[in-house]
Amino acid sequence: MAAGSRGVNYHWNWGILLEPSPDGQGTYLDMLLGGLRWTIVTALCAWVVALVFGSAIGVLRTLQSRTAQWVAGAYVELFRNIPLLVQLFLWFFVVPELLPREWGIWIKQLRYGAFYTAVVAIGLYMSSRVATQVSAGISALPKGQRMAGTAIGLTPAQTYRYILLPMAYRIVLPPLTSEFLNTIKNTSVALTIGLMELTGAARSMQEFSFQVFEAFTAATVIYLLLNAIVTFGMRALERRLAVPGFNAAR
Amino acid sequence: MSMISMRNVSKWYGPQFQVLKDCSVEVEKGEVIVVCGPSGSGKSTLIKTVNALETIQNGEIVVDGVTVNASKTNLPKLRARVGMVFQHFELFPHLSIIQNLCLGQEKVLGRGHDEAVAKAEALLKRVGLSAHAQKFPGQLSGGQQQRVAIARALVMDPVCMLFDEPTSALDPEMITEVLDVMVELAREGMTMMVVTHEMGFARKVAHRVVFMDQGEIVEDALKEDFFGTPRSERARNFLSKILSH
Amino acid sequence: MFSDFDFGVILRSLPYLFKEGMTFTLTLTAVATVGGVILGTLIAMIRLSSLPVLPKIAAGYVNVMRALPLVLVIFLFYFLMPYIGQWALRADQPIQVGALSSTIITFTLFEAAYFSEIMRAGIQSIPRGQVAAGYAIGLTYRQVMSYVVLPQAFRNMLPVIFTQTIVLFQDTSLVYVLSITDFLGAASKIAQRDGRLAEMYLFAAAVYFLISFTASMLVKRLQRRLAVAR
Repeated sequence: MAAGSRGVNYHWNWGILLEPSPDGQGTYLDMLLGGLRWTIVTALCAWVVALVFGSAIGVLRTLQSRTAQWVAGAYVELFRNIPLLVQLFLWFFVVPELLPREWGIWIKQLRYGAFYTAVVAIGLYMSSRVATQVSAGISALPKGQRMAGTAIGLTPAQTYRYILLPMAYRIVLPPLTSEFLNTIKNTSVALTIGLMELTGAARSMQEFSFQVFEAFTAATVIYLLLNAIVTFGMRALERRLAVPGFNAAR
Repeated sequence: MSMISMRNVSKWYGPQFQVLKDCSVEVEKGEVIVVCGPSGSGKSTLIKTVNALETIQNGEIVVDGVTVNASKTNLPKLRARVGMVFQHFELFPHLSIIQNLCLGQEKVLGRGHDEAVAKAEALLKRVGLSAHAQKFPGQLSGGQQQRVAIARALVMDPVCMLFDEPTSALDPEMITEVLDVMVELAREGMTMMVVTHEMGFARKVAHRVVFMDQGEIVEDALKEDFFGTPRSERARNFLSKILSH
Repeated sequence: MFSDFDFGVILRSLPYLFKEGMTFTLTLTAVATVGGVILGTLIAMIRLSSLPVLPKIAAGYVNVMRALPLVLVIFLFYFLMPYIGQWALRADQPIQVGALSSTIITFTLFEAAYFSEIMRAGIQSIPRGQVAAGYAIGLTYRQVMSYVVLPQAFRNMLPVIFTQTIVLFQDTSLVYVLSITDFLGAASKIAQRDGRLAEMYLFAAAVYFLISFTASMLVKRLQRRLAVAR
């Protein structure tokens, strides 16, 4: 960066990545890669939570029962309309307070408390989005599909398991891919409760080394790579699961 | 005893709109009944009440000795014994043809995989589609899909078959191949209840014709009587419209 | 469990929470929405244009922004801004950029990427015939865009834009990482000062929920009205 004759006085030093970091665990690059590992593990675990709860709530939304629909609707609205950071704080600071004393203490002393909290908070937050997608996928199927399953004698549970969900997941795979990417990005919010994920690692590299832009540029590049790999993987999955002769856009 | 017995069946959508008004039909074993009537007359709803895809508020339906609308009836078990063919085929797009035919056999009847496959292959052969066993529904024509759908119902060894406008979503050149399968089935003595506008089919194999209008069964007559001298004004009107082109 | 719940702390801090915190949150939301939509529309038009190179750059910008976590972008821009300022103003030293202006610029640039995708979809949803009809009555490209395409695209996309604004409203809470006193920041400061975490965070959650939920209900109503009018 330079303007006219006058340079902007920032001193680039990419060698910093290979210098030892003050956490004594290796170089700054190791520190960033350690952050990447937390990002991946947290995102994967949160995604499992999101898929399980999201699918259950999404199915609930498509049942005939008014009560089920209301419960599912309320769940989705509750988790969608409170900022993720606030939800994270509620799980981290408030929930242990509201539980019986011994439980609260036990939770606070958990070794990977920030990680577990992040998994629960981000997982449930994302589950409301997954629920919306899953119920949209089920609703997009012709009404006759449910009837046909019922007509050959399948129970409602079997109809969902063998007929409705396999097609619904295929239809909403592309939006689910972007929700998974959002899950990865959202793990960065957990740096506020002390999770040393990628953004958090870059932040502390910046604080220790004062090489702001090396830290954040490296993190940026890693995020872009991660994004590209996930997108590529999901495309492959989409192709593998594609149903011959069935066009999802139909 | 009738195979299907519907007595004073009534159904409402909401408090106001009555779709079925006091409908009674008896279908004997081996009998083929064609149900016709203008759109919105309730004929599709009527046929779907037989296997409880539509619930009823009044009356009684008994299929092969089992009361459909009794609260303790095991509906999946009952439905497995009643074959149904839909207007839009409703094959399961993510399953191959053979898998479509095996799903119900394995998950509902509890048949082993090999037995299910053997049965499925036999019925595919019967509807003339053996070559397509490994394909997916989206790769077949409408007529082929509907024949697979008939086979999917038959693999369950049903005691009777329900057809809900099985040819009305088909291109004209494919209607015959489906009707041929149905005619053959009727001649073998299958008990059938068929909602259709195909009067040629009705003339050929139906024993009785039920004519519905505005949720009521207006006429329930032997085929000869229905086509010869329909008693009601509404049925005459309908026939003249449907046969004029 | 709620026995020692202190509602007094909420009441006492209401003026601070809303006058300081919520004002910041709403200002940031409003300015970043308007700025983001304008910039986003420009980016969308560039991407759909047949100009050389520029569409690729615009696409690259959008894709990079959308691949990055907002928290990272907030940090990055916060540190980058003084240097950009120095470069732009040809100053000797990196210049001081206030928290409000820094976050406004960050959120505008970040949200522009998302709004540009919305506007691109909106523009593409307008049938080609509309453009042709515009040219046929003698309008220029500029006129076709501003009188025919953009008004329709904007109208069609209004519910989606508002929905994105609700997301943006919630995302503003992330300025917490810069210790800024937005609504959540204010609540958090009181929470820590008085040791009243449960009260303050639950209250903050309730306020965010009420605002977002009400807004999303209004968006749904708007959506129905637009659907009928079309």
